[in-house]
Amino acid sequence: MTDRTALAIDTLTLGYGNTTILDTLSLTIPRGKITVLAGPNGCGKSTLLRAIRRLHKPSAGRILLETTDISKLGERMLARQIGLLAQSPSAPEDMTVEELVRLGRYPHQSMLQPWSPDDTRALETAMAGTSVAHLRERHLGSLSGGQLQRVWIAMVLAQETEVVCLDEPVNHLDMSHQLDCLDLVRQLNSQFGRTIVLVLHDLNLAARYADQLVFLRDGAVAASGRPEELMTEGLIARVFDVDAMIITDPAYGRPLCIPLRTR
Amino acid sequence: MQATVLHNVSSSATPLPRFTSLGLVYGCLLVTLLAAMVLSVMVGYRIYSLQQAAAALFAFDGSEAATVIASLRLPRAVIAPLVGAGLAIAGVQVQTLARNRIASPDTLGLNAGASLAVVVASAVFGVGSLIGLSLTAALGALVTSLVVFAVAAGAGGLSPIRIVLIGVTIAGLGQSIVQIILTNNEAQLQNLLFWLAGSFVDRPMTLAISGGPFIVFGAALALLLARPLDAMQADDETASGLGVPVTLVRVGCFVSISLLTGASVAMAGPVSFVGLVVPHAARRLVGLRHGRQIVAAALIGAIYATLADVAARFVIFPLEAPVGAITAVLGGIVLVVLLRRRAA
Amino acid sequence: MSGLTSTLSGARAPLALAILACIGVVLALSGVAFGSSWIPLEQVASVIMGAGEKTQKLIVLQLRLPRVVIAALAGGGMAVAGFLLQKITRNALASPGVLGVIDGAALGVVIFLAALSNESNALVTSIAYQPLAAMVGAVLGIALVFMLSGQQSASAVRLLLFGIAIAAVFKALVMVMMLIGPIYRTSQAARWIAGAVNEINWSEIHITLLMLLPLLVLAVLAARKMPPAELDEVSARSIGLNLPVFRVLIFALAAGLTAVSVAFVGGVGFIGLMAPHLARLVAGRNIYAGLVGSFLLGAIMLIGADLIVRVLFSPVEVPAGTVTAVIGAPYFLFLLMSRQRHDG
Repeated sequence: MTDRTALAIDTLTLGYGNTTILDTLSLTIPRGKITVLAGPNGCGKSTLLRAIRRLHKPSAGRILLETTDISKLGERMLARQIGLLAQSPSAPEDMTVEELVRLGRYPHQSMLQPWSPDDTRALETAMAGTSVAHLRERHLGSLSGGQLQRVWIAMVLAQETEVVCLDEPVNHLDMSHQLDCLDLVRQLNSQFGRTIVLVLHDLNLAARYADQLVFLRDGAVAASGRPEELMTEGLIARVFDVDAMIITDPAYGRPLCIPLRTR
Repeated sequence: MQATVLHNVSSSATPLPRFTSLGLVYGCLLVTLLAAMVLSVMVGYRIYSLQQAAAALFAFDGSEAATVIASLRLPRAVIAPLVGAGLAIAGVQVQTLARNRIASPDTLGLNAGASLAVVVASAVFGVGSLIGLSLTAALGALVTSLVVFAVAAGAGGLSPIRIVLIGVTIAGLGQSIVQIILTNNEAQLQNLLFWLAGSFVDRPMTLAISGGPFIVFGAALALLLARPLDAMQADDETASGLGVPVTLVRVGCFVSISLLTGASVAMAGPVSFVGLVVPHAARRLVGLRHGRQIVAAALIGAIYATLADVAARFVIFPLEAPVGAITAVLGGIVLVVLLRRRAA
Repeated sequence: MSGLTSTLSGARAPLALAILACIGVVLALSGVAFGSSWIPLEQVASVIMGAGEKTQKLIVLQLRLPRVVIAALAGGGMAVAGFLLQKITRNALASPGVLGVIDGAALGVVIFLAALSNESNALVTSIAYQPLAAMVGAVLGIALVFMLSGQQSASAVRLLLFGIAIAAVFKALVMVMMLIGPIYRTSQAARWIAGAVNEINWSEIHITLLMLLPLLVLAVLAARKMPPAELDEVSARSIGLNLPVFRVLIFALAAGLTAVSVAFVGGVGFIGLMAPHLARLVAGRNIYAGLVGSFLLGAIMLIGADLIVRVLFSPVEVPAGTVTAVIGAPYFLFLLMSRQRHDG
């Protein structure tokens, strides 16, 4: 454990009933970096993300935040440390943008201190940082998919957590909004210094935005490292059962996967 | 105080001085409520002047007018707003918990469950005390809410439409059982039929005194849960992510809803659709934050029930209609409008 | 293989229907035999054949037989209405009870009774017009539901929600009518709403039969076009069926059947929902088998429900409709739970 580590996942085992989803999984999430979890369907990447946010209770193993076991933290304390943007979050259509972003301040408030100048500052920073301030009075139902995703990210940003988890944030977005959304995530990382844990389906997007890429398969880490190290034909064949060709994309110099056929 | 802070910083984006407008909204509602209550004391089969009303309240002289006002008019002018506020606050919570804008104590069958409990308690077990009946009604509402949510969960999640269908069906079931009990109890039927329609007629003041605390306690609990309820408007996962103890909040809300619905039903019988209609008006006025929504809904609900009660005295004059019939017609129309707008 | 199953089911249906008919006859005979005094089955048979002593003749022919016959007609009529609605909406949750039909009919009847009675509670016109009033109300109810739901009527579950809203309004209006009209003999009116088959006389049966028969014939005639009507609109049109028009006709037919059925016995719930399901289980998917099976099962259910209330609650006369509701509501919930993936 070094101070470059935000989260240390230590021999984590987790399952429902008799099915094991995660099997003695160990992984470190570096501080101030973007870690992308990828893998075939059912590999446990969403479950791992939810376990990090303690929405699932592991049957064995532990997750250390700095040096504290997260199972020892109170609900509110944990919510100040780790934020989560769910895979398909929902809120009433007639809720305003500002009302939603305010929710991010929930863990920072208490019965005695309902709303402080700190909360206002965080709220405004979050809305400005995601460029949704001009939408504040708009109802969620009147927003486009891309705008809506920005507002949700603003909510997680307002939470001011050290770690931000996002579960497939670009799932239903078109190409330009995918880039827009992930650029925003990268901005959370670079401008606000957040540690990001991201689940992504698209390998090429993963390779483009990840500092650390993690391949999961069958509830365990198949490989982890920089995208350049992981995006190899052999590894992709082993993890995804797909024969692929890996080239270097001419624009950004990142590895690019061209799937050829399933094995 | 939250609003002032917000106003200071965000004034550039929102030129409307929010604290004043919020205070103004509450103030107007309060004045309207008081006016409605005064109206409720004054008008009816006989119409009394303001002086007569004041005299009956503050300088009782034993005259016929004073007696009618003090013993008949005053109790309903007090009970109607209590019931209206109770059902409205329950409605706000139900709509947030079910994440469904057409949910209400009625469409979830809670009114019917409370009614069934009261009928069983009084017809079968001979419970007569008002506190006993209020408690029974609250218990009936609580059991019903648990059944509805359990069945809905078994039916594959709390899909807004399905939960209402389940609630309405359970309400129908409760009504049938009430019917069986009542046809076996001809003597009770006459007493209970008007009560079952929902009405504020002939309610003694003691009813307000025994039911009032339940309403107050339920409302206080609701206000206490206002902030977590804000977060519960988002999905469960997001709410948990924000550190809301989701299950605990649900349990607290169920208790609050049951107290509010139970006491309302014990006082007036099932007054339909107040909990469906009023939260919509409240949200339009003050937005979605529950601290405000609950206060506004309580005031609007109180006004709505009081005015509906006044109207009930005139729609089939000289007879008196059950107020529940009036709110049912209005509520049904609002429900159709909501459905047409695809609010659910 | 498919040919084999179809021949098998073809052979199964007549047998199943014959068994159902036998059950119906046995139930009907026991319905006549049971009561405050037991009349042995062979004596029942002999009285019906025209023999027997005077008191037994009176009990059987004037008191018990009418009750069984109206139960068979009303139950059967409602079941066929439910069958048509389920087929045309392609949704197993549709039934006359939830589409505003029964409450519309109830409103028609109370308005008829209230408006056309004189000071001494006597009708100024023939009771023969009561089914007509019920039919007008029923058609009005279902028409309103469809008009208001507009485009959304394509989704059966949303249609049900509109039905719930309209039914709530109608229920409240019925209650008000009961209060203002000279039919304010509460227990009797309440019994009608709950659905009871006692106190029926032969002239009422004649009226019911006279109006029900042509509607049943129409239902059989319409059945021929039912299979193509289960397609979507464009496909139906491409094979020559104007679906929107056909749909309206079927809805009117179902409303008529329901109205005639409930005109004298009142709102018996859930038979129109359950009988068609069980008919499909017992008699297979053939449209005519389903039609006949629904009628038989509906008749069996209402005769059986009436028998149950007489055996269980004697000497008190509990409305048979409460039994069908107590059985039907859980059945509806079960359907909702098992159909979770299909509608939303």
